[in-house]
Amino acid sequence: MRETVYVLGGGQTRFGELWNSSLSDLIHEAVDQAIEKTKIMPTDIDAVVIGNMLGGETTGQAHLGTLVSGFLPHHPPALRVEAACASGGLAVHTACALLESGKAETILVVGAEKLTDVSGDRITSALMHAADAEKDAPSGLTFPGIFALSATAYMHQYGISREDLSLVSASTHRAALKNPFAQFRKEIPPEAISKSPLVADPLRLLDCSPVSDGAAAVILSTRRESPVRIAASQLSSDCLSLADRPSLTSFGSTRTAMSRALAESGFDRNSIDCIELHDCFSIATLIHLEDLGYCEEGDAIRLFKDRDTEADGSLPVNLSGGLKACGHPIGATGVKQVLDCFKQLTRQAPNQVKGAVRALAHNLGGIGATCTIHLLESSF
Amino acid sequence: MDRIPSLHRRIKELEKISFRRGRILSFTTVRHPPAGFGTEPYPVALIEHEDGQRVIAQLTREGLTAAIGAEVIPRLRRIRTMANGLHVNDLKYEVVTAAPVPLITMRAYVLALTGPAGVGKTTITRTLLSLFSPVVEQVPMYTTRRPRKSDLEPHVCVSETEFETMVARGEIVTHTVLTDHLRYRAGYRKKDIEAIWKQHKLPIVTTDIRLLEGLSKALGREAILSCGLLPPGSSHRRMLSALLHRLRSRGSDSEQQILEQLKTAEAHLKAFDTHPHLFDHLLVNDELDSCVESIKEIVVPQN
Repeated sequence: MRETVYVLGGGQTRFGELWNSSLSDLIHEAVDQAIEKTKIMPTDIDAVVIGNMLGGETTGQAHLGTLVSGFLPHHPPALRVEAACASGGLAVHTACALLESGKAETILVVGAEKLTDVSGDRITSALMHAADAEKDAPSGLTFPGIFALSATAYMHQYGISREDLSLVSASTHRAALKNPFAQFRKEIPPEAISKSPLVADPLRLLDCSPVSDGAAAVILSTRRESPVRIAASQLSSDCLSLADRPSLTSFGSTRTAMSRALAESGFDRNSIDCIELHDCFSIATLIHLEDLGYCEEGDAIRLFKDRDTEADGSLPVNLSGGLKACGHPIGATGVKQVLDCFKQLTRQAPNQVKGAVRALAHNLGGIGATCTIHLLESSF
Repeated sequence: MDRIPSLHRRIKELEKISFRRGRILSFTTVRHPPAGFGTEPYPVALIEHEDGQRVIAQLTREGLTAAIGAEVIPRLRRIRTMANGLHVNDLKYEVVTAAPVPLITMRAYVLALTGPAGVGKTTITRTLLSLFSPVVEQVPMYTTRRPRKSDLEPHVCVSETEFETMVARGEIVTHTVLTDHLRYRAGYRKKDIEAIWKQHKLPIVTTDIRLLEGLSKALGREAILSCGLLPPGSSHRRMLSALLHRLRSRGSDSEQQILEQLKTAEAHLKAFDTHPHLFDHLLVNDELDSCVESIKEIVVPQN
């Protein structure tokens, strides 16, 4: 990082099917929370970046940067960024770039998504906008279907069973019990996950992150100091379609972003105390942990068998409940991950890792077509 | 959403496509179709054409069941109906051959313990059998000698002619002439090994270098997890002394028999050097527990 970028804090709405809130209601709530928690003057904000994927398709609202700017008394310059499910991570990354360049000194970063205003099949179609419209979509493939192609190949190659796969969602549901913002605060045993309805074979309903509404906001600054700083902010891209990739069971974008983030921060990957991981589907969790370099290919399931991913385990993952149990309002996720890392590093997390000093937020767009990684460090 | 110009471009593109065969790299069944694709589930596969180009497409309902590696050919089929009632055609692939038998098949294997008499094969086998009785079973040896009281291992004794008939019928998977006391023929039946595999158990054979060689030819070298057992000692001479000491302390054989066994043992020790390809692991049996532990680790690798 060319400048020290501090995370002052932030706020979020509960994630879930929030029928009574519109997209702008959600953004209002998150922004109010962020300003209140960080105790800054709204006029201290000199730029706004918002991450959102489907504002136009699901709410008829585009031009979101200006929408948020209008909520502030002085209408600071604002922009919306989009990289499918990595829109939130991209918003944080863009804000870091603006801060490092000196274009702004304090930025309000928002992630927001409102999905439940339209029917299920429309959302299924809209989510496919994250894939290649000419190569993937004409076949009638869905977004869970793309990850199912990955899952079929992974299970074939490494011989993991249905029962193994169910351990992943069970673990995030257990973690979400304590998170007041989570969409599902319910423990679900692996047997129930194995019996849930099929969505795209072999993926079942409880392998998939839900359709959610929600918003999250964090405030980043180079001027105001805080115990938590961003030690690395990396963005990487790959080709859009799974058909153009050399591997179905590993995503190059995660590998690239991780190695660059470690180089930028000078961290050892084993010095990271907790991870917020983009677990859009159970299979993705396994692939990400391998791509991040925490286990050999085909070996990640062992972490769940040994319960290493829990708060007192050797590699705490998704203690917020992740996308699966906390919910996945697409554009909000990447921002909420950074907020959850901030909470861990300032001892405010509901599932606190004792003495956490370094945290990682991993946000993915499409099937690994975009990846952002943020490393946070605390001097708390 | 029905974008008519994009359909027009797609039809133009289909006209240019040469209908090539391909193989399934992965597949799924979409249970909740997106808007415009109806409500019935359909299979979708990622297919690699012979020239290496990959496409994502639906599979037809006719044809064989999808599997990774199965061969497919493209067909032009209706893929959906638009809101205005117009049908949209696109490529769907039909599965024409089942998945090929992979080159490396995961198959059952045999645990073979080979070593000179007195090295402790029988003791180790019995320990393994008592420790892991639900998962391991010893393969009985068919021999042409009379049963002995001192027989610790399962032997089925048959006459020369019966043995010869079994060999002629191809029932015996490997056989040789053993000379530990008398000269006699010995071998294993294929049926016995297969019966143990069928129970999902691991067959153990305590065997001789020639039987091992035959076994590896008959079942395939990769089907044998072969451990060579050595007596303790830094040289062949010291190893032989250790054996001599053990054989004498057994007290079951005469001095003449012991000397003959030592000659065979010498040949065995040489075979470890001359036939290294027949062994996956060489273990020194200086202490029973540690040797059993090593075999356990080889069979069930610790993570």
